Amino acid sequence: MKSLLTILSFSLAAFTLAQNGKKVQFVGGARAVMSNMDFQTDEEDTVTPRKSAGGYALIDLGFRINPNEQTEILGMIRVKNDLGGFWGSNVAFDVRQLYVRGVAGKIVRYQLGNIDYKMTPYTFYNHNPDMLLGGVGTLQIKEDILNYESFYSKNNTWRQQGAAVDFGLAFPKIVKDVKFNGFITRLNPSNLSNIFERFYGGGNLVVKQSKYLTFGLNHASIFDLKETAASENPYKNAVSTATYEGKLDKDKYTVGLAGEAGTSAAGYSQDSSQLTDFFSNTKVYLKLKELNLKLSIGYMDNGADFRSAGAQSKRINYNQLNSFYSRYTNSQIDRQISIYDLYNDPTLYSSSITEGIMDYNPAINNALPYGTASFNRKGIFGEVQYQDTSEKLTLEVKYYQLSEIRGQGTTKLRKYNFLQTTAKVDLMKFLKIKRHLDFEAGFSYQRTTRPSEIEFENVSLKSAAVSLGVQYELISKLFLLANVYHFESSGNDLTPIRNTNDEIISFAPYNANNYENYFATGLKFNFTEDMYLSAFYESNLNNGNGMTPYTINQFMIVYNLKF
Amino acid sequence: MKKYITLVLLGMIILSSCHKKDNSIDGPNLNDVYGEFGVINTLGQNLDSVDFAVGQTAYFTAQMSKIIDWKITITGQTSGAVKEITGTGSSLTQATTTWLGETTYFPVFGAEICDVQLTFEGEDDTLTSTIKIIQSKLNPGFLISDFESGFNNQWTSYIQSGADMDFQIKTDASSPQGNSYYNMAGTVDWDYLIGYLYFGASAYGSPQMPITGNGDNTYFNIMIYGEPGSVNTILLFQFQEDDDLSGGFANSSEDTYSLEIPVNWEGWKLYSVKYSDIPCLVNGQPSTPNGNGQHNPDRLNQVNMLHLANPVTGFAKTKVDYIIFTQNEPLKP
Repeated sequence: MKSLLTILSFSLAAFTLAQNGKKVQFVGGARAVMSNMDFQTDEEDTVTPRKSAGGYALIDLGFRINPNEQTEILGMIRVKNDLGGFWGSNVAFDVRQLYVRGVAGKIVRYQLGNIDYKMTPYTFYNHNPDMLLGGVGTLQIKEDILNYESFYSKNNTWRQQGAAVDFGLAFPKIVKDVKFNGFITRLNPSNLSNIFERFYGGGNLVVKQSKYLTFGLNHASIFDLKETAASENPYKNAVSTATYEGKLDKDKYTVGLAGEAGTSAAGYSQDSSQLTDFFSNTKVYLKLKELNLKLSIGYMDNGADFRSAGAQSKRINYNQLNSFYSRYTNSQIDRQISIYDLYNDPTLYSSSITEGIMDYNPAINNALPYGTASFNRKGIFGEVQYQDTSEKLTLEVKYYQLSEIRGQGTTKLRKYNFLQTTAKVDLMKFLKIKRHLDFEAGFSYQRTTRPSEIEFENVSLKSAAVSLGVQYELISKLFLLANVYHFESSGNDLTPIRNTNDEIISFAPYNANNYENYFATGLKFNFTEDMYLSAFYESNLNNGNGMTPYTINQFMIVYNLKF
Repeated sequence: MKKYITLVLLGMIILSSCHKKDNSIDGPNLNDVYGEFGVINTLGQNLDSVDFAVGQTAYFTAQMSKIIDWKITITGQTSGAVKEITGTGSSLTQATTTWLGETTYFPVFGAEICDVQLTFEGEDDTLTSTIKIIQSKLNPGFLISDFESGFNNQWTSYIQSGADMDFQIKTDASSPQGNSYYNMAGTVDWDYLIGYLYFGASAYGSPQMPITGNGDNTYFNIMIYGEPGSVNTILLFQFQEDDDLSGGFANSSEDTYSLEIPVNWEGWKLYSVKYSDIPCLVNGQPSTPNGNGQHNPDRLNQVNMLHLANPVTGFAKTKVDYIIFTQNEPLKP
């Protein structure tokens, strides 16, 4: 047997990094934020305070303990104090992270407690469909804060609580190796009455047949634990997929075919109509090695009833009020969540997996409101990725041309065009100057149409976003920051109104005549790579959908440290 | 090897099948939500004359061009009784409009001609018709009294010697059912009790009231009038059970369940309660019954109706009518 297969061995160093022989290490971060905000509107408003000030200081103090080479324990507490809240008031103590991980017998890697996990884009994946454009400068500072607060990573993982294991086997013939991954997390506890204990679990196996071919089987399922509530109607959402990639690797290029296809079933056990559907997503790609250019083109077909809570949960529930300046004018109208709020308010974000269909903002992302896993979409897409060898220029362009599969309220189908581009330029290398000068530009455009001779069927909605960011090193480690962001949306659509079973029961007219202009400038001093102090001023004009415009001006001081 | 890889890749592509054109739609048809309103088929009905007493039912039909909130209002030309049937849809069918002869707003319907009006939310269109009731509906159950036959001498009544005392059966057009009701009014400034009327089972010819159901499927129903401008009245009903089937009631060893109804509304209202939901009260507080502790409507020996009011709040007045026990569901008059 030993000659036939080998169990892949892991070492803890794979994830604990260098321990320097220390059994206990302090890890964590600290942040202090001060802000002075000014709110203005042309409408009559004697109710809303014109100015507000606040801030906080926090420290995340973690203890990383390595009792032996195969085990790591991390416990992190957060102490947060709102400014002006000393002497015991407005002081919060929280457990921020807690996990144990290690390698059992140098074979099985495990983690218990907080886990950051993902599988594939259609099973368990933290898509980020609303943050259309990133940016250097002030937007990056804000995005980093909200990502840190909500445990979002660049790897699109979801922070959950549970357990995960993985191990691998290597084979001398037929296949090279097989890797197994499994996880189980607890989504919500029972209330010992009518709410079940709800779990989310699954796993995959990835088979690397050769350097040419890799394929995998994936399964993720939300399920209620029977007999944990006085109900006979548990919920289940199961998603099973197959992933595959075949490629031909030559000296000058790599050409390949990759994709994922699968099925889903969702619903309560006693419901007569369980939603079942399938999807497929396939692309071919060509990587030109000398140019460092990757081109891909593909086709996606996500069924109208495809449901995958782990991949379709949104970071933001748009069916919530803003947490600051939530209402304004003497009529105290709701202030809708804006692009500015997406960057400015970490409390809007969630790390929960939600089994229902979450509300979205058609102006921001109507084409793929739930990321690649959005249901009821089919069409082609293409992507260009380029980075020159000296990393002076990084360019990324994505384009989707999609349509619905099943019409909403009519047999006519909406069509979507979605263009997303980002360019990063390292001008220090370009201009051969001594100081850092980073420039980033982004552009996003969406168009939704459903032409019809019948007026109420007609849909035409456009939105566009432009972002420019500059970061220039004035003197050593001191950077000048500047950002401009413009977003606009116009047109109309009909947004579905769903009941508690996510069935569409009606449609609400959605009319957009909106724009936002954001401008920011400031300074940032990098003490080290993980420690900076920044002070900046920003101004955001929002036309309130053409009816109740307002401006938010804010001066912020941010100190951030990771250790 | 290359063949093998090619086959696998082809298989993957085949697996990536596509959805066929889907002619179904998600949600309601947009035309039903936003289309122009119009009446395609006007208001129709299955009968011109209906005899509810023999089990006949009436229903109405119509067809509209879109889904809309609609309302049928049936008004008795003589009684003024009103029945409303509401719904949402693009058509009126037997399933959504069947009328069993019941009433939404008192009084109840009599044998009379009724006006039928169909209206639509947000639209001016009104469709009309008439229907004749040959006999009004019968309500199965044990009727304690509708006060149409006068005072039963086997009932027991007591009236305090207060001011403006008026405890009697009255006959006038304000009766919600038939022509008569029981009026209770007066001022007693030294006691909560203003007067009472006890309905003993013996008045109906047996030691226990002829109710066949159990506590969970028996409903006690009464029509109560709240005097405009006065919220003083508290109606207290005591249900005394002959648990040992001795033919009488012993308070120390048998169950009494009590229902307190603060009459804090204006006009006639039907009050219904499941018999097993009626608590045992002592001095207004939940207590343990003295008998078998089970709700046994089939062993009811007496129902006491007491008119109470806080002595400091002055004059109290109410009217009651149509006291009935029903089976399986509350009264639908």
